[in-house]
Amino acid sequence: MKGKILVVDDSSTIRRIVKNILENLGYKDVIEACDGLDALAKLKQDQVSLVMTDWNMPEMDGLSLVKAIRSSATLSKIPIVMVTTEAAKAEVVEALKEGVNDYIVKPFTPETVKGKIDKFLV
Amino acid sequence: MNVEFINPFIIATVNALTTMAFIAPKRGQPQVRKDEPPNGADISAVIGLTGETNGWVAICLQKSVALNIAGNMLGIQKTYIDADVRDAVGEIVNMIAGGAKAELAKKGYSFKIAIPTVVVGDNHQLGQNKNSVYLVIPFETEHGAFYVNVCLESDVKHGLRG
Repeated sequence: MKGKILVVDDSSTIRRIVKNILENLGYKDVIEACDGLDALAKLKQDQVSLVMTDWNMPEMDGLSLVKAIRSSATLSKIPIVMVTTEAAKAEVVEALKEGVNDYIVKPFTPETVKGKIDKFLV
Repeated sequence: MNVEFINPFIIATVNALTTMAFIAPKRGQPQVRKDEPPNGADISAVIGLTGETNGWVAICLQKSVALNIAGNMLGIQKTYIDADVRDAVGEIVNMIAGGAKAELAKKGYSFKIAIPTVVVGDNHQLGQNKNSVYLVIPFETEHGAFYVNVCLESDVKHGLRG
């Protein structure tokens, strides 16, 4: 399937789980970042079709990463799916307001991931 | 310790482990304690909760349970507590805190979640402030026992915002 996916999470466990799910869904081109700063560095080097990011991370959190992507002339159109434990309504609203395209709440199933990302990768 | 706090943490624990580690833990009888926790653990993950409602939540596991959880999450067998196991346990407590946060927000309790800290050591006990009242929720799995300990106080009265 087309498109490189960037998975951003400070948890190596979550990055591995998401990557495994994506690969099982046929998305073989997956790169990883451990926080927002690392993600921005990767985005400068690679053309990415979708960003999947956690919220609570050290160095630069997910919401700050979303703001940075949306304010960038070259990156602003990249679809972003937040993958986070922050499930309270106020947080979801805040993320969507900042430009997140969709939201996955941890814990999640492979079916949930598929349902949320397929539409961005054609 | 507000009894409204109990069920969200139980539900979040079961949900996290069932969904991510394919383990259905059996809950024992929650206890409110003010002294040393009932049993030692081999690995614990603690996460601070801050704000109008504040405290912490910890998951305290026997080694066999932690290895099983991490192995199931990653799809590989784990035989000792390594960086993967520590990370996996930290992520589970993160999900417990997040799940409880979402439920408690509906009742008017809000807090921010910190980044987890993981402690490893055979049969350790997490130290408590002697004035803290905390909740101990015991669970059993086929690989052994674990506890979810919660210490949470709120400035919000009667679960409703002013």
